[in-house]
Amino acid sequence: MMSPAALTRRAAPVLACIGLLAVWQVASLALKNDSFPTAIEAIRAIPDILGDKESLINILASLRRMALGFGVAVLVSIPLGLLMGRSRGVAAFFNPLLMVIYPVPKAALMPIIMLWLGVGDITKTLVIFLGVSLPVIYHSFEGAKAVEEKMLWSGAAMGLSPTHRLVRIVLPAALPEILTGCRTGLVLALITMITSEMIARQAGAGNILFNALDMGQYDTVFAMIIVVGAMGICLDAIFERVRARLVRWSEPQFDMPLSFS
Amino acid sequence: MTAVPARSSEWVRPVTSKDPASKIIEIDRVSQVFQTSTRRDHVALSDISLTIEERAFVSILGPSGCGKSTLLYIVGGFVSPTSGAAKMKGQAITGPGPDRGPVFQEFALFPWKTVLGNVMYGPRQQGVRATEAEAQSRALIEMVGLKGFENFYPKELSGGMKQRVALARTLAYHPEVLLMDEPFGALDAHTRTRLQNDLLNIWERDRKTVLFVTHSVDEAVFLSDKVVMMSKSPGRIREVIDIDLPRPRRRNELLLDPRYQKYVVDIERMFDESDESGAAL
Ligand SMILES: Nc1ncnc2c1ncn2[C@@H]1O[C@H](COP(=O)(O)OP(=O)(O)OP(=O)(O)O)[C@@H](O)[C@H]1O
Ligand SMILES: [Mg+2]
Repeated sequence: MMSPAALTRRAAPVLACIGLLAVWQVASLALKNDSFPTAIEAIRAIPDILGDKESLINILASLRRMALGFGVAVLVSIPLGLLMGRSRGVAAFFNPLLMVIYPVPKAALMPIIMLWLGVGDITKTLVIFLGVSLPVIYHSFEGAKAVEEKMLWSGAAMGLSPTHRLVRIVLPAALPEILTGCRTGLVLALITMITSEMIARQAGAGNILFNALDMGQYDTVFAMIIVVGAMGICLDAIFERVRARLVRWSEPQFDMPLSFS
Repeated sequence: MTAVPARSSEWVRPVTSKDPASKIIEIDRVSQVFQTSTRRDHVALSDISLTIEERAFVSILGPSGCGKSTLLYIVGGFVSPTSGAAKMKGQAITGPGPDRGPVFQEFALFPWKTVLGNVMYGPRQQGVRATEAEAQSRALIEMVGLKGFENFYPKELSGGMKQRVALARTLAYHPEVLLMDEPFGALDAHTRTRLQNDLLNIWERDRKTVLFVTHSVDEAVFLSDKVVMMSKSPGRIREVIDIDLPRPRRRNELLLDPRYQKYVVDIERMFDESDESGAAL
């Protein structure tokens, strides 16, 4: 038997989704607009997309680019961010560069990158890479900067070299912060994946969506939005599980619930 | 918990009081000036000279902010002094090393490691085989009274327990000199007394050199061969007092010993005097 509180916690996300769909359904029926299908129409269109081999290949190709861009970005950004956090020189060099890149929407760089590298996989993966890198670098940097000095001193007294201290003390100590950055990065990967396919129209999940929009197949458009949203929720949920496992040692001891009861 | 595990000969070496006292640490005219955020220079240590003999237990006693921690960091090699120099066995101290083991006021445990993982960290780093390091560490954990908590994470421990893990973690890699910064400051009176006794037991068998920072006059007298009294702003050595009490020391005997009482009273009076002269300024 689950306690009522646990039951509410489990049911809450499901209720939220149902609520959202219900509002959508009512709004759509009320507006009677051709370009705004009802929730039920959109959901009905989902099996058509997922049943179509062509569409499935497109979606999988998108996911592959996203995974590649995300993976490479994480592998490059974590060491860079940690180095920046522990070395003033490295930070002084990279900070201005990142400050220039940070506010630029990465998709806005697409046309230029397309000129250089074409409209293929490399361009889109590169844009995803850029989108993911910044939050991961930033959080790794902040995490590394916040590592307690005495912890590093303790390591130095045990004979750890500077490189070892970076890998064996700064990295684990900053891990909770790094993973917060990765979680933001994962969502950004999904966003840049879709926008990159909107700009370089050729293949992918974004392409299905925007082609349908051009052709006025609005139920397909909304069905794709649901599919992409569901991918986001699933990826985030999986990541959150992994994260919670890795940093269980850092979770707060006591919850301070904002309870109204 | 007073039973120190029978271990390598290094641990149970009998006290050889006939050893000629050789210098292990020499602090020569060390000053430390900090740039504060208001951009004014702050003299934390002024012209400190001190020699510490091998296997001596030396306490540094002084009011908060007089530079006790800073002095310990300089000996540890974590901070280089603005002027002057510190030497370990005749060699200038240029950085930290496993010959000098710090126990920080802030514990500085590795939060991602369990109690056992923290204690094993040093020996593993020094290439001790995992099984051996684990056995040694378990014995040390038991010695500091934390048997049963091996798999707890630091966040699951009380302040006093963290302090004991920090002590065990440093003892685990056998530094020649222990640099202890108010290690018992965060403990309740009962645990404090027990750990003082245990530290004394370990030390009387093992005779490492200990540099021990404390606020407490009785603690300093009870434990030390030598008490270094510091005064504040700027941090200076005010007085070095040899504590000539027999060892092994037993707390219940010592508390009744008039010589012990006299040391405590004298040192407390010296502090009161310096407070008054400070207030007159
Ligand atoms: N990094 C720093 N920058 C500026 N000032 C510092 C720094 N570290 C220490 N100080 C100053 O130096 C003085 C001595 O500090 P220290 O921590 O050594 O004192 P302490 O004797 O250990 O005090 P406590 O008993 O409270 O631990 C203090 O006045 C402090 O403000
Ligand atoms: Mg201090």
